Order: sequence, then structure tokens, then C-alpha cells
Amino acid sequence: MGVEHEHEQTNFGQVSRIRGKIFEKLSLGASVFGILMLAVLLVYVVVDAFNLSSASPEWLLTYFITLVVPFIGFCLYSANDPKLTKQAVLALGGGLPAIAGTYIGVEAFIRPVPGLTWQLIYLFTVVVPVTAYVGFAGSREPVGRVGFGLLGRLVGGTALGFMFLILFVVFEPQAWFWAYTLGFLPAVGMLAYSRRQPKSIVSVFFAPGLIAASILAVKPDDPFITIRIPLDYSFLPYAADWIEGTISAVTIYLAVLSVPAAIVVKRAIERRRRTRQAQIGGILALVVGVTASIGIGVAGFAPELILTNYADYPGDWGIYVWSLVIPLTLASAGLTALQVSRKAARQTGVIILFVTVVGSQAATVVGISPKTAVLFLLAVSIPTLSFLRQVAKRQNGVIGVVLPVLLAGGVIIGAVIVDIWGVTPPDIWLNWSFLTAGPSATPELAGFYPAIVGSVLLISLVAVFSFVLGVGTAVFLEEYAPDTGLGGKVTRILQINIANLAAVPSVVYGLLGLGLFANLLGFGLGTAITGALTLTLLILPISIVSAQEAIRAVPDSMRNGSYAMGATRWQTTKNVVLPEAIQGILTGMILSLGRAIGETAPLIMIGFPNSIFNPPSGILETTTAMPMQIYVWSSSVKSGFRYGAVAAGVVTLLIVLLLMNATAIIIRNRYQRDA
Amino acid sequence: MSDSQSDLNLQRSRGTERIKEGTYGGFMLVCAAVTLLTTVAIAFTLLHDTISFVQEYPIVDFLTGLEWSPNPAGGELLFGIVPLLFGTIVVTITSAFIALPIGTLTAIYLSEYASTRKRAILKPMLEILAGIPTVVYGYFALVYITPALQATLFPSMSTFNALSASLMVGIMVIPMVSSISEDAMSAVPDELRQAGYGLGATKFEVSTGVVVPASISGIVSSYILAISRAIGETMIVVVAMGSNATLPTVREGLFNIPFIHPGDVLLEQGMTITVAMVNIVGGDLVGGTIPYDAMFALGLFLFITTLIMNIISDIIAERYREEY
Repeated sequence: MGVEHEHEQTNFGQVSRIRGKIFEKLSLGASVFGILMLAVLLVYVVVDAFNLSSASPEWLLTYFITLVVPFIGFCLYSANDPKLTKQAVLALGGGLPAIAGTYIGVEAFIRPVPGLTWQLIYLFTVVVPVTAYVGFAGSREPVGRVGFGLLGRLVGGTALGFMFLILFVVFEPQAWFWAYTLGFLPAVGMLAYSRRQPKSIVSVFFAPGLIAASILAVKPDDPFITIRIPLDYSFLPYAADWIEGTISAVTIYLAVLSVPAAIVVKRAIERRRRTRQAQIGGILALVVGVTASIGIGVAGFAPELILTNYADYPGDWGIYVWSLVIPLTLASAGLTALQVSRKAARQTGVIILFVTVVGSQAATVVGISPKTAVLFLLAVSIPTLSFLRQVAKRQNGVIGVVLPVLLAGGVIIGAVIVDIWGVTPPDIWLNWSFLTAGPSATPELAGFYPAIVGSVLLISLVAVFSFVLGVGTAVFLEEYAPDTGLGGKVTRILQINIANLAAVPSVVYGLLGLGLFANLLGFGLGTAITGALTLTLLILPISIVSAQEAIRAVPDSMRNGSYAMGATRWQTTKNVVLPEAIQGILTGMILSLGRAIGETAPLIMIGFPNSIFNPPSGILETTTAMPMQIYVWSSSVKSGFRYGAVAAGVVTLLIVLLLMNATAIIIRNRYQRDA
Repeated sequence: MSDSQSDLNLQRSRGTERIKEGTYGGFMLVCAAVTLLTTVAIAFTLLHDTISFVQEYPIVDFLTGLEWSPNPAGGELLFGIVPLLFGTIVVTITSAFIALPIGTLTAIYLSEYASTRKRAILKPMLEILAGIPTVVYGYFALVYITPALQATLFPSMSTFNALSASLMVGIMVIPMVSSISEDAMSAVPDELRQAGYGLGATKFEVSTGVVVPASISGIVSSYILAISRAIGETMIVVVAMGSNATLPTVREGLFNIPFIHPGDVLLEQGMTITVAMVNIVGGDLVGGTIPYDAMFALGLFLFITTLIMNIISDIIAERYREEY
């Protein structure tokens, strides 16, 4: 013992304050090393993307005064903290001479700093942190919360509108029209009916209905999923290829649908229940049944009737209004009726309809086509309206709604001043034409549009696949799989296997995609479906583990309560576990999709093309993606690509990632607050 | 779920309910089976083409050959993995020099020194490092890091080089080291720390003398996982390291002792296994040729290496874990 005691003393006895302090600072330095390095790199890439190094000081000054100062003022007003105001003003005011002085000194005596001016250094080391901190402080008070909440709805709504737009680039609106009218609408009707009449067999047919609807929505000239009707379509040059597919899918669908419809009608007549639900169900079923038989009849025996009338389909605008605006307005109004009152619901419905329908028609004045405008207006107006109603109800910080006006006004006034002053704005790489043009051999003309569309398409597909597979597996492992015996062993093997899959390099998944999906199964090289399946398998382990954690967090007492009420395992999962866990599942799912959107190596391995000029118009077409385009451009020798276009692409990709992660964090925070 | 429930018959035996229960249960079983099938499919795909590669090209030459040239203009095809292994090891070791110390120190700081608030800020920011797409890191290395290094430390550096790429790989895997190590350190019970303080130790001595040894299994397993991640990293090296699969020249130093100058390796182009795979796929995608099959052989090599490292890391974490 004595010897050991001595030993301990030599180890622990020598108290050295300096050593401890140095170590603490060193480890703090290590923690922020990577973060700082990334921050510097991000500053450089933002400067390159917006070409800020060529921005004139006058240009920067104008927007600083019209945009940044009002924003900081708003946040300070919201924070309502004299100390913070003093600090912010001191930092902004004192930082300017300090940075300028240091920079000029460094430039004069040591060496010039490439690619940066003191204005930019001031911008990134003082203005951005101060703005971020003030914004954070302001957002915690009611006024700021309202302002940022509204801004978030507007930005998020616009992003959603853009997503709608891109989805309709890929999936043809007319196919969606069919899918909605003959697929989703009756399917939802069946679902509603089966909810009212839980014992009805109709609910079993809900899933096939939806599957058929999605078949309709996918580009329908695909040999995998349609049965071709042997007919001569040559007299219809444009519409022939998709109508052919549509009709065969319609036939399948209606055949599936008519069986439950007939059963429902039979039951409704047999039981002669006079309840309202039964009547509604009966009428619904009758409608579906009649539609089905007519549809089958027409499609099977007289397809010319549909084919020759193809020109009478509503235009894209009409399709959007019928299949998106009306149902979403109804849903929004219905939600309002449940939460607030019927009167508010009517108001909501009328306002949304008015804004989207009239607003989109009015958009032609500023040169935006109504069919584009209707998507954006719809995506923005619904969340904004519900948020505004909440604000008006709370009566707290209502003044915050001026924030978007303040910022929009700042941009407009800034533009006017710059124009009058005669300041040449910098040639920004990340501009509107970059986002909407295709690739080009000239860096200045090159655009990111096909890559954005491709990425959105890939991510949408991956989201669907990985949600189904990930949640299905997680539910199986957490709720169904046995823990003991032989089954328990299998469960453990599954679990270990998932952990190992997570560590497989992404390039190996690329080989899997190349060998299995592209070559063996014949989905084709570089097609969207090959890419989506590969990426799905790649992120599957992450999404499974996150979904498992969310499901595990549901307390067992809730499950037992459900079982005690006599619910089956599936009913418990569906009615208790999944609703409780859904927010956690969604958070994890979005984060894992963030991984998928940045992956490049698997896409190279499955043969994504170096550049395509038009966005893909279906899942079986070759496509490209944002990271792929970045890779291609960064290997170009032209400096315009390497420094300009790629920087703009990188910033676009990072902004998309940021938006996704912000969504995930918002969902998580809301979940935590509720819990 | 729990045992008592599995004894109960929760699948009720009435018509539609039973169908529904069976359908949904079966569907979920299929979902779970997909994960297992993925592993089988990876193994099958890789093995299938590797076997045809081995039939065409002697495996000994593959594993010991000093030259890699899958697509020479009219020349003979050579598939020696050694230069690629060399490049991979260079990147892995250099990035480990960055990631392991920084990651460990970060973990110590987060678990021992940082206040709750600092940790709440630092941890998500570190996660951002792991969330940045790797192609973006590669772009950073090529366009910002290399010119910066050329302007300051190494004027003779080539545009594509191993050093910048390894730096970025290192930064990318920092969060992997730090988060797993921190979990291990946080799992060390406070009694051990209190005992250290009771013996008169300072915070530094407790951190390095008690917490780190007690959590060493977790730290080592995080190292192995980080290294395995660095081995499989593709886009950073593809974009920033170039594609020159040659071994560096061996110089003669004092007393004619042969040595390899680090500058010849780090400041010049190089090629890793992953880069070789990407280069082959740029030329041939349809299959049936030797380079195509060689790509799958490389993939199998990579797959087995990372799998073994993963298993070792698991074993270390399990076997040497201190149970408190």
C-alpha cells in the first residue's frame, strides 16, 4: 500500500496551474479549429459566388444602409435591451476603423491578402456575427418571433412552391390530373368511408388504389408498369406516348376499384341502414362504381372516345386549381374549422382561393405565367395565413409582421439608389439565370437548372423509398421482432448488419448500383431511378436507426394502454406509436436525406452523365444532380468554372442543405416543446 | 416488444382484421429483409465480377504488382494494387495526424471542460463538419487550401496534391472521433473523477490520468472508425489529389540509406483505391472488360477492409469496455 501511495503522489501531486490552463486552452482551440477553418472557407466561397471581391464599396454601403441596418434595428427593437443595443452599436462602429486600420497595416507591411478587401473582412468578421447574435436575441422576444416566423413561412412557402414547380417539370401535369381525379380522390374517399365503417372490407382496397394512382402519376409510357393496348396512335403525334400508358393504368385501376365499390353498394342496400354515414358511403360507392364501369367500358371497348377528346383536357393552370388549390383550400379550411370556428374557416377558404386564383391571373401583368404563380401563391398563402391568424389571436408582438416589408423595401430602395447613383453592381454568379439555365461551355452562361431539378427528383424518390423502408424496418425491429429465442438471434443479426452497412464506403454502394440496378436489373445507367435506389440503400441504415430511436422513445405505458383496450398490434402501431414518434422520425429522415443530397461518388459509379442540357422528364431518364455538376465543373480547367460557377453551385447546395436542416430542427424543437 | 406481450395472441382471428394484421406484419418483415438483402447483394455483386477478374488476371500480380495502368494507350493492362494502397495509406495517415489529436482534445474539452451552454453550441457546429458534402470539401481543398499553401509554406506544391486532400479528409472525420470519444468519456462515472480530486489531482490530471484511460476502449474504437472512413473517402481525393498512380522515387540519404522524401509524396499527385475506381468508371460502364472487373475487385478490397475495421472496432469497444 505504501508503495502505491507513493506512486499516486508522483502522478497527482504536482499541482501546476499553468499546465492545466494551457491544456484547457489547447483543447478549446482544437474544438474550434475545424469550425473556424470551415467558416473561413465558407466566407471565401460566398465571396466567390456573389463575386463580392469585385463589388464596389458604394454598392456594399448602399445595401448595408438599406438592408442590414434596418434589420439590426428591428432585432434590437424586438430584443428591447439597452445593454445589447449599446454593445451592437459599439461593435459595428468600433469594428469599422479597427478592421480597416489593421487591414491597411497588414497590406502595407506584410503582404496583401488575396481576394479580400477590408470592407469584406468587416462584413464577415463584424457585421455577420453581430447580425446573427442580434437576430438570435431578437428572435426570442415576441416581436422578433412574429417577424422571423412570418419570414420563415414566406421563405419556406417559396421553397415549397419551387419544389412543386420542379415536380411538375418531371411528372407531367396531365398525368397528375388523371392520377388525382381517378386515383387519389376516390382512394381518399374510400379511406374516409372505411374510417366511418371500420369493419368494411373497402379499406383493404385503399392501398391498391394508391398504388395505381402513383402508377398513373409516374410517366406512363413505361413498359414496366403498363399493359399496352394494341392500338394505332400514330394519328396523335404528341399525346400518343403518354395516353397509351395512361389508359392501361386507368383500366387496371378501375378494375381494382370496381370490386370494393360493388361490395359497398351491395352492403348498403342489404343493410338498409338509415344513418347518414351509410347513405353517404352508399352514394359514394355508387358514384365510384358507375365511374368504374363506364371507365372500363370506354377504355376497354371504345378508347377512341378518350383519345379524340384529349384536346379538351384542362390546361396546366386549370389542373393545378382543380387538383391542388381546391383540395388544399378545403383541407386548410377544415383544419381552421376544427381549431377556430366555422366563420374563420370560411374566411380562410375565400382568402386562399382569392389570392391563388385571382393573384395568379394578375401575375401575368408582371410577366409571370399564371400556372407558375398559382403554385407559389398556394405554397406561400396557406402557411402565412394560418400564422397571421395565430398572431392576431395572441395580440402579442403584432408589429413584427413588418419585418418582411422592411426587408423587401430595403432591397427595392437599395436597387433604386444604386441605379440613380450609377454604381455598377458586381457580376454575381449566383443569380437568377444561373438557377434557370442549363449547362454551357461558357462559364458566364452556365446554369444549374437541370442539376437542381435532378437533385429534387432524386431526393423526392429517395424520401418516398427510404421513408417506407426505413419506418417499416424500424417498426418491425421495435414492435414486431421477438427479443428471445431463434427470432431474437435473427433480430440481433439484422441489427448488427444495419450497423455494418452504415460503415460501408459510399463508393461501394455505387458499385452495387452499377452492378445490380443499372446492369443486372436494367434500370439503365445514370437514370433517376437507379440513382434514387442506390442512394436509398446508402442512407437506409441512418434512417432506420433514427426511426428506431424515435419509436423507442414512445413510452411502453402507451402501448400497454392500447393493448388493454383490445387493439391489435398493427392498430397500436398505427394509432399510438407512429403518431407519437412521427416528429422524431421526420427529423431523422430529413437529416439522412441531407446526406443523400450531397453524395457524389455513388452517382459517378452508376454513370451519371457529365452534363445534360434539359432536366429529366421522367424517372427512367438520365439525369444529373447538384453535387455531380459541382464535381464536373471543378475538374474543368477554365477558371470561370473553377472559381465562379462552382462556387455558386456550392452555395446553392449548401443553402438547400441549410433549409433542410432548419426544417428538421424546427420540427424537433416543436416536438420537444410539446413533450 | 417485451416478452410478456409476445405470449399474448395479438393477431385477432377474425376475417379482415387478420388479413390486415398479416399484410402489414408481412410488409414490415419484407422491409427488414431488404437490409439483409443489401448486404447479400453487395457481396454478390462484388464477388461476381471479382471472380471473373481473377480468372483473367492472376491474383498474385494484383496484390503485389507495383504498377497500375488500367487504360494505357495501346500499352498492356497492369493492375498492381500496391501504388493505390500506398496512396490510400498516405491519405489515411496524414488525415489521422489531424483528426485523431484534434478529435481527442475536442472530446476532452466537451466532456470535461465545456459548460453546458458551450457544449450546446459546439456540438451541433461540429456536426456541421460531418454534414458538409464531401465534394464541397474536395473543392475547398483544390481551390482554396492548395493555393494558400502554395503562397505560404510550399511554393513547389503541385495543383493536385495529397496534402490538401488529406487535410480536408482529416477535418471531415474530426466529428466522428470527437462524438464517439466524448460518449465514452461521458460514460465514465463521476466517482472516479471525485476520487482523483480527492487525491489532490488537478483537473488536467483527472482528465488525462483518469478519464482518458478509463474510456480508452471507446477512444480507440472511434479512431478505427475514423480511419476506416478516411480509407473509403472518395470525392475529396478525386477532386483534389489528382490521379497519378506511381510510387515515389526512393532517394539515397546519408550513408546510402534509402528513404522516401515526404515532399515527394505529399506535395505531388497520388492515387487512392477510390480514385482508381472512379477513373475506371469514367471510361467503361457496360461491363465485361478487365478494367470493369478490376474496379469490382478494388471495391471488394475496400469493402472487406472497412468491414474488418468495423468489426475490430466493435470488438474493442465491447471487450475492453470498463464496466462500472
